[in-house]
Amino acid sequence: MSAAYRPGPDAGVTVSDDGMSVYVARLPGGPLVVLDGAAALIWAEATTAPATGWVARVAELVGQPEEAIAADVTAFVADLSARELLVPLGADSDARPGA
Amino acid sequence: MATHEATAPPEVGATVPLEVRIGFAHACLQWVADRCGADLLHVKGAALDPTLVPGRGFSDADVLARPEHVRMLLDELRHHGWELINSFAYGSSFEHSATLRHSDFGLLDLHRIYPGTGPTPELAFDTLWSEHTTTVLGGVECAVPARDAQAALLLLHAARGGSDPKAAHDVEWVWTSADETRRARILEWVDRLDAGLGFSVITGTLDDHRDDPAYDLWRVASRGGTRMEEWRARVRAARGLRAKLTVASRSVLVNVEHLTIVRGRPVSRAEIVAEFFGRPARGLREQVSRRARGRRR
Repeated sequence: MSAAYRPGPDAGVTVSDDGMSVYVARLPGGPLVVLDGAAALIWAEATTAPATGWVARVAELVGQPEEAIAADVTAFVADLSARELLVPLGADSDARPGA
Repeated sequence: MATHEATAPPEVGATVPLEVRIGFAHACLQWVADRCGADLLHVKGAALDPTLVPGRGFSDADVLARPEHVRMLLDELRHHGWELINSFAYGSSFEHSATLRHSDFGLLDLHRIYPGTGPTPELAFDTLWSEHTTTVLGGVECAVPARDAQAALLLLHAARGGSDPKAAHDVEWVWTSADETRRARILEWVDRLDAGLGFSVITGTLDDHRDDPAYDLWRVASRGGTRMEEWRARVRAARGLRAKLTVASRSVLVNVEHLTIVRGRPVSRAEIVAEFFGRPARGLREQVSRRARGRRR
């Protein structure tokens, strides 16, 4: 069972002790990206198995209906993917929000 | 969505803890080393086994490179946003490390030698490398020395720390409070690394090594001394007449790199000239005041 995404091959990642901030560096030259609050939660769930239902888990954590956040979540992970900080894993159907 | 790049604006940069930036500095170094085929070991700071000195703080990243790979690494790092701010010759009395700075990842000390280890820098690195392990820093698996080797290296670092409370704390944790078994394991590494002279500072037996050319370097580093004593020790420790003359000539040249950091901007010719004359004068003043203090005792 895998996660929906994994960090990009040239991404360094550090999670704060309280889990509310994720620091992602594009290696080797930067930049350094800070994900706070909901953004950190999205990163954590996107990179945590199982892939199935990961957006629903985010919705539950932020107390919102899944359909209300799915579009924003999709746009967010698309942005991180475009920066090559996140890479979709395996069965893409599982990785899609709402799957 | 709360995503921001922590590059330029200071108010945003301030939200990234220093230890996070330093972790990424290690990760960056390992990334570069892996791709250019260089061997390096991450030492001290974030790379230190956390059970050796719990809660120990750090302010930069230290890496020890295989000596023959240092030039290649320096060249590579410059291509990835690292700026050289202090070269080996002017880094310290031991001329062991160069300092680089990155706008995102902070300060890095790139060591070509770990002071006190030998018999040559190459063999010392081989010895450490032969039993290296890994730890994750900034999300990247980084090569580090074996735990007991880390303890020996930390103590050698503390031996140069003089009256620094952090050095004293390290010695207390890693050596003074260690049992015989643990000490024996550390001493085995001291032996393998030919580190008896530097380590004698820890055991209080430095003066048994008065005849060693590097004795004065360790004496000044561990007990303090004037700038003039420091340069005299560097000249004495340099091997061969040519090396001694090179060191001696540097003692009167101005470290423009250092001056640039102190001033925070490129220095003018007038400032270099002023520093040129100021340094020997400062050395003399220190020497004179030290002698005066000695007479008063």
